[in-house]
Amino acid sequence: MANLLWLQGGACSGNTMSFLNAEEPSACDLVTDFGINVLWQPSLGLELGDNVKSILEKCISGEIQLDIFVFEGTVINAPDGTGEWNRFCGEPMKNWVKKLCDAAQYVVAIGDCATWGGIPATAPNPSDSEGLQFLKRAKGGALGENFVSKSGLPVINIPGCPAHPDWVTQILVAVASGRGGDLTLDEFQRPKTFFSSFTQTGCTRNMHFAYKVSTTAFGQRKGCLFYDLGCRGPMTHSPCNRILWNRQSSKTRAGMPCLGCTEPEFPFFDLAPGTVFKTQTVMGVPKDLPTGVDKKGYMKLTAAAKNASPAWAEEDIFVV
Amino acid sequence: MSTDTQEEDQGGGVSFEDRYGVTPAEADHDTLLRMIEDMFTEGLKTQLEPFPETDREFSKLLDDLRELDVNDLRQKLIISGWKLSPHGEDEMRCQECMYFLVHKRWCDLPELDLPAEPEWWCRLWRI
Repeated sequence: MANLLWLQGGACSGNTMSFLNAEEPSACDLVTDFGINVLWQPSLGLELGDNVKSILEKCISGEIQLDIFVFEGTVINAPDGTGEWNRFCGEPMKNWVKKLCDAAQYVVAIGDCATWGGIPATAPNPSDSEGLQFLKRAKGGALGENFVSKSGLPVINIPGCPAHPDWVTQILVAVASGRGGDLTLDEFQRPKTFFSSFTQTGCTRNMHFAYKVSTTAFGQRKGCLFYDLGCRGPMTHSPCNRILWNRQSSKTRAGMPCLGCTEPEFPFFDLAPGTVFKTQTVMGVPKDLPTGVDKKGYMKLTAAAKNASPAWAEEDIFVV
Repeated sequence: MSTDTQEEDQGGGVSFEDRYGVTPAEADHDTLLRMIEDMFTEGLKTQLEPFPETDREFSKLLDDLRELDVNDLRQKLIISGWKLSPHGEDEMRCQECMYFLVHKRWCDLPELDLPAEPEWWCRLWRI
């Protein structure tokens, strides 16, 4: 049995909604098959008011062993560092977060807001939001750079807007079943098992990427979304095209450019007008090139690919 | 902007329809290609500079193109800085542009949507 407590800070509840759609394993499987005892969760918990506060206090005192503390949403510090804009159970949420993280065996940050601030922390960041151990790319966050939970691991970051439900449940199963020590994390503390490959890995439009044929308008099934519509699939670490959404599809498969939501900079370019759904270029060359490719190589690759491109690459081959 | 497709002037006071029997919107690939080449042969000057360095500048050109009448081929070529040869030190050309469909010999940018040749170029070039 592993006790799990889930709280929300500056959040839209999107990650909770995502979590409830998990399939492999499902949220119910966590309880029935993997021995996770959900002490409280904002959308599932039955307790209200003082009864919730009592659970939190017992977790902090050690009366209830807190095995997994899950946090969704940003840690809000406004106004003036007090955190009073986000009060919960009688005090600023940021205080509960600090005490619960110190008490927990494992701390798991779910979604961009909890990992590195996400949309709320976008400039000018009026709520003075930050993630548990990062603010965008900068290490530190609400808990500080050197924080480790009782297990010895730093915060396990599962980013995304929202995070894919199965990334969440699979990591929870790993830590609940005593395999937390097997997790390897990348430089942003994301589990490598999910975040070493790219969103582009497994994308059905890869042939069009290879032959440099662009999707030039929404709704087209031919072409790659990287060249014109701002897709960040080649630069974004996620398994969105390996572990499909709703077991069916992904953004890029459905014709929606990847927005890079598992990377610390999301939302990119601070959502300035003209930067969403448009590939940013400098003198006609994409500002952000596929990871590991330099400008010279990119231009050579394009010339070669265009020369080698077959006629079918210009057609809609997804005939129903 | 002209909205009367029948009166659309292809440059010398003669309408496309009078000269080619069709308007640009009705023309097939080869006829459109001929219309473009004829305009350049007859001295069409297009706006090659400034090259849109940022996406905001690029978007502004697209906005200008969207306002054109569907048969205003002349302005389309002028605004986009169309050119029948490679451009600049790097010899930029349609062949490497991501909007160019090499087999169809066509510019797939919706705001242009015109036939093109590999050695041509315009300032909406992107790689």
